[in-house]
Amino acid sequence: MAEYANVVRRALGQLGGHGGVRGFFVQLFRVNDIKTGALVGVDKYGNKYFEDSKYFFGRHRWVIYTTEMNGKNTMWEVDGSMVPAEWHRWLHCMGDEPPTTHPPEPKKFLAEVHQFNVSGSSQQYVPFSTTSKKIHEWVPPRAQ
Amino acid sequence: MLRLPVVSRSLFPATLIKGGAAATNNARTAATATAAASNLLEVFVDGNPIMVEPGTTVLQACEKVGMQIPRFCYHERLSVAGNCRMCLVEIEKVPKPVAACAMPVMKGWNILTNSDKTRRAREGVMEFLLANHPLDCPICDQGGECDLQDQSMQFGSDRSRFTEGKRAVEDKNIGPLIKTIMTRCIQCTRCVRFASEIAGVEDLGTTGRGNDLQIGTYVEKMFMSELSGNVIDICPVGALTSKPYAFTARPWETRKTESIDVLDAVGSNIVVTTRGGEVMRILPRLNEDVNEEWISDKTRFAYDGLKRQRLTQPMVKDESGQLVPTTWEDVLTRAAGALQGVEGNDVAAIVGGLVDAEALISLKDLLNHLNSENLCTEEVFPMAGAGSDLRSNYLLNTGIAGIEEADLLLLVGTNPRYEAPLFNARIRKGWLHNELQVALLGKEVDLSYTYDHLGESAKVLQEIASGTHPFSKVLAEAKHPVVVVGSSCLQKEDGAAIMAAVSTIAQNARVSSGAEETWKVLNVLHRVASQVAALDLGYKPGVETIRNNPPKVLFLLGADAGCITRQDLPKDSFIIYQGHHGDVGAPMADILLPGAAYTEKCSTYVNTEGRAQQTKVAVTAPGMAREDWKIIRAISELVGVTLPYDTLDEVRERLAEVSPNLVRYDDVEEANYFKQAHELSKAVDQAVLTGPLAPPQLTVKDFYMTDPISRASQTMAKCVKAVTEGAQAVEEPLIC
Repeated sequence: MAEYANVVRRALGQLGGHGGVRGFFVQLFRVNDIKTGALVGVDKYGNKYFEDSKYFFGRHRWVIYTTEMNGKNTMWEVDGSMVPAEWHRWLHCMGDEPPTTHPPEPKKFLAEVHQFNVSGSSQQYVPFSTTSKKIHEWVPPRAQ
Repeated sequence: MLRLPVVSRSLFPATLIKGGAAATNNARTAATATAAASNLLEVFVDGNPIMVEPGTTVLQACEKVGMQIPRFCYHERLSVAGNCRMCLVEIEKVPKPVAACAMPVMKGWNILTNSDKTRRAREGVMEFLLANHPLDCPICDQGGECDLQDQSMQFGSDRSRFTEGKRAVEDKNIGPLIKTIMTRCIQCTRCVRFASEIAGVEDLGTTGRGNDLQIGTYVEKMFMSELSGNVIDICPVGALTSKPYAFTARPWETRKTESIDVLDAVGSNIVVTTRGGEVMRILPRLNEDVNEEWISDKTRFAYDGLKRQRLTQPMVKDESGQLVPTTWEDVLTRAAGALQGVEGNDVAAIVGGLVDAEALISLKDLLNHLNSENLCTEEVFPMAGAGSDLRSNYLLNTGIAGIEEADLLLLVGTNPRYEAPLFNARIRKGWLHNELQVALLGKEVDLSYTYDHLGESAKVLQEIASGTHPFSKVLAEAKHPVVVVGSSCLQKEDGAAIMAAVSTIAQNARVSSGAEETWKVLNVLHRVASQVAALDLGYKPGVETIRNNPPKVLFLLGADAGCITRQDLPKDSFIIYQGHHGDVGAPMADILLPGAAYTEKCSTYVNTEGRAQQTKVAVTAPGMAREDWKIIRAISELVGVTLPYDTLDEVRERLAEVSPNLVRYDDVEEANYFKQAHELSKAVDQAVLTGPLAPPQLTVKDFYMTDPISRASQTMAKCVKAVTEGAQAVEEPLIC
């Protein structure tokens, strides 16, 4: 009986734990999930890291991304690369020590400021083609 | 026709025999045709009786019953050499095997094409041929379409007895088009005979005898002929192959599309070979009425121009006057906006030489909807007299094949050798086999046959017309006279006078010849593929009207001859260019609409004799380029005068409404009213100029680059360099 009561309590906690009806729907649409957990820490960009070890391993740690990062609105467009390296190891269960309690030793190859993934945009990297073109288009002469 | 491998011949023997046998000895058959019916010989092929004319060779008799004799040196259109010995067959009661290609049949002979002796003879010959032939089929460009390869599989021995060394021959550099690997040569001498008989250049020949026999140009020089590429096709082995095509594709991995060539006005039938959306090469296709089985070098090798300087996306001029790429929506609305505000004389169009009939009719309908009749072709044709009102006035009425029956030909101000190489090959054929007498009026040029040079000035033309010139007498005695006037000499101001004089000469010759009603004398030899269709559809030849009242909006449809420049138009005029190459017309445009080239669209072209033929889609148009009539149709919708056709079939119905002959494909519509045209030409009151009638293409170096496609071609540029500076001046990759 107590088990069922616990389930109901957790369910109610999930429904009400996001800051009212609006917060609930925002959470539902952004994360596709409404689970609540213990806030383990917040990184320098504002991404929040949660843990609830009641969930199955692999689903027990998660991140709620910040809504604005490096000047880009990340309310709906989020990217896995937004997690900084020090939180990445905790989030992916490489270790159980979050960087809040165990600050990682600084490495110079780690990015100071996050850079967004430009794939699919006009700045994306396109490898140099080694095959010759089938059609050589006409290049209009430069206007005087 | 592909490379005529023996296998394909044996698959379709009947069709080939008809064409082949008729063409080979047309001169001979013409002479014997009447007598032949009565004294046919009966011979037997493997016991099957067949009636043949006397003088028929054993090989032809066998072909008549559908039996293919293997051969290397024999070719239907060339003289018989009989030196490869591959066609040896046994004949009953004849002690030795005979060479079928050279031996005339005798009455009652029984030809055994598959007897033991015949098969042994073939096997032996094949063994000797292979003794000096390298076994490099895997790296040979002829692989897959090689007669030697096919026939050695079919008739050769299944094992080798060969232990000796092979002969090796040094390769010759005979120009940027033909690659020679002379070690592979089996000395069939087809190329030598082609050069001297069809092409009319004595460049190729043999040196040495026996094992040391070599084909070559004697001294290191270029094989300089406008038909040189055909030796690649007739070479039964891989000794002569195409240099631009070298190591690029194999015949079994390519798609073949039967199409039409548009780089001259002959409309040669071609096969466009493609692989992976890229034109790999162009080969001739058999059409006895147009190009037989040859094509000119420009037709064959200018295909790399289709891959360079292409317009692949719509462009528009920005504020600084720079053309920048944009979207179709943008250019179409801009073009429509420009056309919407104008009417009547404020809008005009010029069409170039490579435009198809579908695009011509859509553009004409569009401008007619805008109340404009200013639709011009770049090529001038005199409109005084009958002009383009009577179709017979601007066609090659005798027909390309009809020249073979003529006995006197007067060429006026033309150099058919470079303006229409295959027409020239026909003239040469008539000159060689039918004693055609040729006279030329105009600049003296090398036509590959002898002719009487009557002078350079058009004054002589008027003398002939009035009957005071001694040539008038020759003309009056001719039974089948033909007068051909080149369109290039009609470009100047005195074009109408020249046309009137030619019309008079033709009419006089027509009357004096007493030839049958169907015989036509007057001919106009056009230089560009679109001209006849444009005149059929009612375009005005020449851009004079546009120069006289410059329009606000000018639509250039593939107009790359540079007849009208920015300087001829007011400053604020708007130019729309639609075409497939960035050549002369594109840089001066405000809007660029990328169209499709002739290998990329299914379209109609009418050749100089009035034969409508269609090109087929071999590859898709590059980038954003679209078929021309579709672009014009789209603009018309935005302008608000939607053209009433959405599919190609509907466009062709419209074509048929205007001029039904344009959709009667592969058919020549009879054109008549010569007398009326002549009457009308009498009204022309114009003096001829005294200058010489000099066609712009005088020597072979003028031949290669004449249109946007061939001007973009690197192969053609190499040819020009090779003929001006020598074949050694052209750098080739080492692998060749």
